[in-house]
Amino acid sequence: MRQIAIYGKGGIGKSTTTQNLTAALSTMGKRVLQIGCDPKADSTRMLVGGKRQPTVLDTLREVGTENVTLEEVVHTGFGGIKCVEAGGPEPGVGCAGRGVITAINLLEELGAYTGDLDFVFYDVLGDVVCGGFAMPMREGKAREIYIVASGEMMALYAANNICKGIVRFAKQSGVRLAGIIGNSRKVENEFELLTAFSERIGSHLVHFIPRDNIVQRAEINKKTVIEYAPDSTQAKEYLHLAKNVIENDNFVIPRPLEYEELEELMMEFGVLA
Amino acid sequence: MPFTLLKSDKPIPEREKHTYIKAASENLLPRCNVQTTPGDFTERGCTYAGCMGVVCGPIKDVIHLVHGPIGCAYWTWGGGTRQNLSDNPGFHRKYCFSTDMQEDNVIFGGEDKLYKSILEAHEEFPEAKGVFVHATCTIGLIGDDLNGVCKRAEQEIGIRVVPFNCEGFRGCSQSLGHHIANDTLFERVVGTKEPEYTTDYDMNIIGDYNIQGDLWVIKPLFERMGIRILCTFTGNASVDEIAQAHRAKLNLMHCQRSTPYICRLMEKKYGIPVLRASLFGIEQTSKALREVAAFFGLEDKAEEIIEEEESKVAPEIEEYRKKFDGKRVFIYQGAPRAWHWIPMFRELGIETIAAATTFGHEDDYAKICARVNDGVLVLDNPNALELEEILSELKPDLFVSGLKEKYLSYKLGVPFINGHSYENGPYAAYSGFLNFVSDIEKAMFAPVWGLIRREGHA
Repeated sequence: MRQIAIYGKGGIGKSTTTQNLTAALSTMGKRVLQIGCDPKADSTRMLVGGKRQPTVLDTLREVGTENVTLEEVVHTGFGGIKCVEAGGPEPGVGCAGRGVITAINLLEELGAYTGDLDFVFYDVLGDVVCGGFAMPMREGKAREIYIVASGEMMALYAANNICKGIVRFAKQSGVRLAGIIGNSRKVENEFELLTAFSERIGSHLVHFIPRDNIVQRAEINKKTVIEYAPDSTQAKEYLHLAKNVIENDNFVIPRPLEYEELEELMMEFGVLA
Repeated sequence: MPFTLLKSDKPIPEREKHTYIKAASENLLPRCNVQTTPGDFTERGCTYAGCMGVVCGPIKDVIHLVHGPIGCAYWTWGGGTRQNLSDNPGFHRKYCFSTDMQEDNVIFGGEDKLYKSILEAHEEFPEAKGVFVHATCTIGLIGDDLNGVCKRAEQEIGIRVVPFNCEGFRGCSQSLGHHIANDTLFERVVGTKEPEYTTDYDMNIIGDYNIQGDLWVIKPLFERMGIRILCTFTGNASVDEIAQAHRAKLNLMHCQRSTPYICRLMEKKYGIPVLRASLFGIEQTSKALREVAAFFGLEDKAEEIIEEEESKVAPEIEEYRKKFDGKRVFIYQGAPRAWHWIPMFRELGIETIAAATTFGHEDDYAKICARVNDGVLVLDNPNALELEEILSELKPDLFVSGLKEKYLSYKLGVPFINGHSYENGPYAAYSGFLNFVSDIEKAMFAPVWGLIRREGHA
């Protein structure tokens, strides 16, 4: 069983990329569990046809820790993918980070990680804002980290920060950076910049997903591209990504850049004037 | 060598600056009121403890609601180790209120639970004159809107609901909690009610917590003089008394570590002068009475009372003094009592050979150093190993400290008195002094000490 966490700047397309990736893996015969670690609870939305499903934390709150069952919180979606949403508080109250910790521990206690799984994916909210959101990588729940990034300065800045988190926990938990997934925003020299950035931090660009409006069309239809348009060129890109993930054996402790180095890199590729 | 490194501190050389041997020729103080040095197994409390446990807890007619996990409630509960007596025992110190925050409250926020808890507590105890809500560490971390919830609850139940933002992790000791309690009570309570009438002889006693009834022996002395005590802050205080404290003509400050803040605020806003006093021992109590009398022009009356009180206790004290003469004491208190008691013990023929405080500031250590003789050990924020070393090496005849050191002291064969919550108090003023002295005698001359075989002796 490979345990993978997807991180990246807020709004960069983590959930979209993760769902298309797991959907692609499922069509290749892989058994997948996907856990959304975001209070918005929309990480598996397209895999379950847009249905709102009860989250782990909502259930815990309603019935108490002792009474939560897997049946209530694990929902089977497209391609037999097991979908879980950790859930969490409304914006502005409580502690979403603690929610991630509680939800993942509870899933483990309940035996959600069965031996027949090929992949477990954690789709984690935004930047690593506090200890709670670092939990998947800290506790060794995830062994491989993929960072979704575009060629925009803030996306790379966030990716670089996430690498600092990986370095912090690499020794104690064995977590490794497995690569950067490029999600195009049609920035100039984007592929070259992402390739260079990935290499500079000691990793590699796993795959570069071009921008295509079919992703939005599929989303409106509450489906992944893999399900909505399986023969499209965009679906092939996600299948390509899935193949690269399956074959990937490039797991490293990254070398995060200093802020100045990051700026120089941006200038070199003409993004910062 | 003014500073010294105790043997037990070899691995923590930073402790040297906190360990001062007094020399009159120098103008030095131990380092204090700073973050604890790693390795120093400090006995300090937290900001929440200082706010809820020390300053607010003695207020007798409000619900003291702890917003946090259940464990935070007990150790600051007045019904536990603290002895802040009041004349409202059917309510005050009888109950303990907590929101009992659970995992799901932490994740989803504790605001709803707090709101419901306030309403429920009020419904259960409608006689309470207010609800004081105290924030624990957890609340600071998850960012519950304490002020907003309290405001909403206050509108709903119609009595004052006061938030104290005293999260435990703020500050380096309980000291900041005293400050937060002072500021909050000043902002939210003082000046919100006018007394029915005022006199030219209205005074507040600030910084006495009525431990085992201290105030009940202090207050009558001033009342007999013709002074009206408007508010006792906060021993046996009702919230209404604190609300009208701004009309006093004088603030008499006893605990000068936990209440200088509110005295300063009241001086600035209402022009109330502050008189600092020690109300332990005959000499200091008489001095305080004389200074208060001089302020109000009641000198003759004061002299009458002083003469009467002194004559009642002096002969007995003199007998004890003969018995105690030449004994040596180690005082370790929160802060001010370490210096309040140095002259008091001297009155009994007992010299202080070491003095320590848990959370004293520079002004506390300046007062300690001004009162002790050269060569006396003055120690900031001591830990159990240091205390053990001092007790073993200096072999004092008496150790005056708190409950937590009691059995360490007994094990080392050192007579002990609990100066925090007392043995058989009250200890303040004239009649309290007799209790204190009687307890000292019982401790030092207990027959048990004659039955102990010491190392190296048969």
